[in-house]
Amino acid sequence: MKKYSLWIGLLARVILGGVLFAAGLLKYQHLDKSQMAVRAYELLPISVANFLGITLPFLEIAVGLLLVFGAATRIAATIGGLLMMMFIIGISQAWARGLSIDCGCFGGGGQVAPGATNYLPEILRDTALALIAIYLFRYPQSKFGLDRHTSDGEQSNG
Amino acid sequence: MANQKPGKDNFTRNLVIVVVVGVVLLMLVPTLISKGTKTTAKIPSSVSASHGYGIVFNGDVKSVPVVDVYEDFQCPICQQFEKMNGDYIESLIKAKKATVIYHSLSFLGPDSIRAANAGACAADQGKFLDYHRVLYANQPAENSGAWTNLALTILGPAAGITDKKFGTCVNGGQYADWVTNVANAGAKANVNATPTIFVNGKELDRKTEYFNADKFKAAIERG
Repeated sequence: MKKYSLWIGLLARVILGGVLFAAGLLKYQHLDKSQMAVRAYELLPISVANFLGITLPFLEIAVGLLLVFGAATRIAATIGGLLMMMFIIGISQAWARGLSIDCGCFGGGGQVAPGATNYLPEILRDTALALIAIYLFRYPQSKFGLDRHTSDGEQSNG
Repeated sequence: MANQKPGKDNFTRNLVIVVVVGVVLLMLVPTLISKGTKTTAKIPSSVSASHGYGIVFNGDVKSVPVVDVYEDFQCPICQQFEKMNGDYIESLIKAKKATVIYHSLSFLGPDSIRAANAGACAADQGKFLDYHRVLYANQPAENSGAWTNLALTILGPAAGITDKKFGTCVNGGQYADWVTNVANAGAKANVNATPTIFVNGKELDRKTEYFNADKFKAAIERG
């Protein structure tokens, strides 16, 4: 059983890490658009939104790479999970308030035509990714990772 | 791999963490700096920093509505908007019935940046409105790369631009820093889509007033 769980851990790392890395890279290519995407949620003061629009892609790239390498898995999964929860809250409030925006999850973003929104699938996807992050937080051990779990995984997992 | 003994050397893991975090930070810092507004940017004629670095028409005319047009020369919806309301806006400018400020945003891609720079070069020639019209009439597919500096220079004569300086200005990306400043000002003004129109600082209703010529006119006259 233990054997399989290590492979599940690998799969979880690659999925969550790969998605974060790709999302960060796509945003990085159009940072103006990334800033716009954050502003369009109408949740943060404009200057904070603009700052987050620039820094978020870098954070996603870093966390994504760490997860794929399996280095500091537990910390990276925690940050990844918190990001997903933040995205779920952002998208849900946009939906509830009747905003018409693109989530900007993989680049793009900003206001879109009413009816062109895609909130439910976006929330479901982020929920699935958040669950993967929680799994990795609980069981950070996995195949082909750089972490030595006898020192930073199993010990604290007890 | 997970069966390593305690105390096993963590060198590779720590190295990877340091490299990943370090490289990302090294990329982030210059990006944050380059995104800042450049006070030394060359500014095309008829631009004022107090109007968000936009290209201003009738800035000195008093007691008329102030219309801010945020657009991206590459955006297809801006082209539709131009088709519907462009002539009307130009007529307002000619009749001095409104102060109109064009903000050339550039978030779609490098073609947008080159086109915005070329628009500024045209403003120096006093031909911004003509060039504006020519760009929309010759708009290629988004980010096709068709708007090279050469192509943008060739479009100059179609707008009645004959001065050789125009080509130099377009090719040299003379106003590239200014394009960044316009983008920053747009971000500060909370512009999240193109086109975005403000009349006297108030955004028009996206659901009704953009693509209905009568309602658009009414909104501007209402001021």
